[in-house]
Amino acid sequence: MIQRLITRMIIVGMMWLGLSLLKWEALSTQLLMQALVFTAIVLLGSLMEQILHYQGDPYILPVVQAIMAIGLVFVVRINQALPDNPGNHNIALHQFWWANIGLVVFYAILWGMQDYRKLGRLRYLWGLLAVGLLMVTLVFGSTTGGATSWLSLGGIVVQPEEFVKLALLLFMATYLEENEELLRVGTVQWGKFSLPDWRTLGPFMIMVAFILGILAAQKSLGTALVFYMLFVLMLYAVTERALYLGISLPIFLLTGTLGYQLFRHVRVRVMVWMNPWQDVAGGGYQIAQSLFAISGGKILGTGLGNGIGASTVPVAISDFVFSVIAEELGFAGAMAVLMLFLIVVLRAFAISLKTKDRFGQILAAGIGILLGTETLIILAGVTKLLPLTGITLPWVSYGGSSVIVHFILLGVLLNISNANAVSSHTTKNKGRECAT
Amino acid sequence: MKGIRRVALGMAFSFFILSLGLVYWQVVQADTLLQNPANKRLILMENRVTRGGIFDRNGEIIAQTQVLNGKKVRVTPKGEMFEPLLGYSSVQLGTSGIEGNLADRLLGIKDATAIQTVKQLFALPRQGDDVVLTLDSRLQSIAYNALKGKKGAAVAIDPRTGAVLALVSQPSFDPTNLEQNWKDIISQEDNKPLINRAFKLYPPGSVMKVVTSAALFRSGINTTDLYESTGSTVINGQTINEQNGKAFGWVNYNMALAKSCNAYFATYGVKAGDKNFLSAVKSFGFGQKIPFELYVKPSSITAVAAMPTKLDTNLLAASAFGQGQVEVTPFHMALIAAGIANQGVIMTPHIVEKVLDSAQAVVFEQKPAPWLTALSKEEAAKITSAMVTAVNDGTAAPGAIPNIQVAGKTGSAEPGGPYKTHGWYISFAPAEAPRIAVAVIVENGGTGGGAAAPIARQIMQEALSQKVGDK
Repeated sequence: MIQRLITRMIIVGMMWLGLSLLKWEALSTQLLMQALVFTAIVLLGSLMEQILHYQGDPYILPVVQAIMAIGLVFVVRINQALPDNPGNHNIALHQFWWANIGLVVFYAILWGMQDYRKLGRLRYLWGLLAVGLLMVTLVFGSTTGGATSWLSLGGIVVQPEEFVKLALLLFMATYLEENEELLRVGTVQWGKFSLPDWRTLGPFMIMVAFILGILAAQKSLGTALVFYMLFVLMLYAVTERALYLGISLPIFLLTGTLGYQLFRHVRVRVMVWMNPWQDVAGGGYQIAQSLFAISGGKILGTGLGNGIGASTVPVAISDFVFSVIAEELGFAGAMAVLMLFLIVVLRAFAISLKTKDRFGQILAAGIGILLGTETLIILAGVTKLLPLTGITLPWVSYGGSSVIVHFILLGVLLNISNANAVSSHTTKNKGRECAT
Repeated sequence: MKGIRRVALGMAFSFFILSLGLVYWQVVQADTLLQNPANKRLILMENRVTRGGIFDRNGEIIAQTQVLNGKKVRVTPKGEMFEPLLGYSSVQLGTSGIEGNLADRLLGIKDATAIQTVKQLFALPRQGDDVVLTLDSRLQSIAYNALKGKKGAAVAIDPRTGAVLALVSQPSFDPTNLEQNWKDIISQEDNKPLINRAFKLYPPGSVMKVVTSAALFRSGINTTDLYESTGSTVINGQTINEQNGKAFGWVNYNMALAKSCNAYFATYGVKAGDKNFLSAVKSFGFGQKIPFELYVKPSSITAVAAMPTKLDTNLLAASAFGQGQVEVTPFHMALIAAGIANQGVIMTPHIVEKVLDSAQAVVFEQKPAPWLTALSKEEAAKITSAMVTAVNDGTAAPGAIPNIQVAGKTGSAEPGGPYKTHGWYISFAPAEAPRIAVAVIVENGGTGGGAAAPIARQIMQEALSQKVGDK
């Protein structure tokens, strides 16, 4: 109890320390109010966990809250460096709103969802929902930064791609649980390999092709890559057949080459990745500025608020937020953030391994895979290990849709964890009752 | 369950690779990227750091940041006298010169210890370090006024320490209100005021003969042997002319250098051979990066290679009196003069005397160190004596100073095309115990004696009239 509360106090204390190192007087009262609300939710939440006997994974939530706190501090930090125009005034405030709403949604799912297995009953509807959301975006969406991925709903701009992640994950989990055996063994012999028949594989393949096709049409390369990795890794994790990994590689290379040949923006991306220094003022500007920011951090960083990345790196507040963190907190801070993400991902897999029902296992592993690939792809992008594909860093990047969807995923994950811990606890007690 | 474990393991491994990426950028590549010209970090740092001042050796202000009406302004009281050496640092225009190259000092971020770094995080805005240069404003001003209206450069060095006393390049520009005047400055295509001519490559002409002298000595020729100058000679089918076709009659080494006899140096240069010539120029630092706070282009022997492995006879003959494809910077030429003056040892040139932190404590102090041993003491003495003859009874007569023995050498380098020759002059004084060495070039100025020597004389006269220890 005490330990739980102290952990949370340290986390919110960290956030307040960060905010106080940035210029106090520049922060609006509204924002400080929201920061207080955030503090209250985090502390009350931990009390509630005590009262309602939360028995799920004890590490994930504090770690995610720490990531969220770091994210909030940096969104405030970068917000201060943005040009002074009305559109930029309330960015940090909005992020606090989303964080607070996200936390509430998280607790609602954690305590409100009676049986996560019911999520599996909607089956293919989740897939249709995913495709539908993407189609609507493609038709009615607005284009920013080259990608058509925003949808305006009565004044609020949402990024449906983020919600598609959720729908797709549920579809995948349902589908894989249902067809696990068939996918694992295969019914059609093809040379040395036995493959599943068309009736099993068909709906899945169509869905995959459809979703990736729409994302390619929207030019959301980053999200397409995340989904592709999600499909492949989940398929492998469930079936344990290296064959699927083997097939996925040539498919990836083939579509990659095709995209490279057909689309100019893909070519530019790859070219910039190979040599950003050739055109530092043009195509290579973004990645070069990111690397200038990161490299300037050195071991200990420039200190919060002292870096240049916040004002020089384009879209530092969303896709490139990690560059600013790596600059201002240095290698030490960047590694700490990396480790926090690694803990969340590995704990998600740990939950999956402890879960008793197959659907829960697959869903938990899927959430781990999704969070892991998202983090890896954007961080590898900003550090030039991979070509840059703009996606958000979960909980850190600015963006309401992203924050809320990731809190929903977290809610589902911990609901699975809690439900299994409670049931095993009760069965244990039951066993004891019998023995006595 | 095996599949999930393997995917988890793969994830952990990928995170590990990612952390290696961070090590690469934040540790391995950190300094390289800081030096990238597109990286605006150092310039942007100025918003938070008050840039340190730049002073001459007597404490006179060359550049200083002052706060006027709440805005930081870089004040340069000496105007264009120190440009383009001083350079500039501007968010819009980038950086150049001393302001650019010593930015890490001026911003106080060089060699900061871990404790200093932590302190700096909590002490903003802070004050950068002050840089005290070896330059002497009085000499700089004389050189500047003498060169004004011409195109050229003058470099004065203390041969005993390698300290740069004056470095002027003309035409230059006024660093105040640079952003507003920028268009006007870069539109002067003929004048090129941004180029530091002291670091620009020129054909050296006859001043090269002091370098060739070393090759002659090492080939074992007798410097008292006489050679008959007839106004021109033919070597391997190539005609070597004297300036204005003048015949000097019978000359020994001393007189040949004093009268600047091309045929003598071409003939004996070819006799000495390319091995001796190339080893002599190498010992003077040709083809090598000069260790200096600012970048100086290395001087070169041929257009293809700065330091070729061999030279054909015709090119060797022309190179021996500084034509052919030989190119030298005035700065290097001043170092060569300083090396002869300092008994053959060229001291490492430097322009920073010391660096003071905001509390005026010394953070860095330059200590004199030898760079190259170009000549033996005897060789240096022989060249000095010939250079003395050049001043007393030769082409360098306009460089003479009453009551002080000057050693000098003129040059009139043909730039190619229908243009007037570049006037060159190198000298040092007093010849018996040199305290200053000077190189002057006046682009298309005619003869070295007429155009360049009087400028060097004025600089040396001022320098030597200062009492010992008079700062």
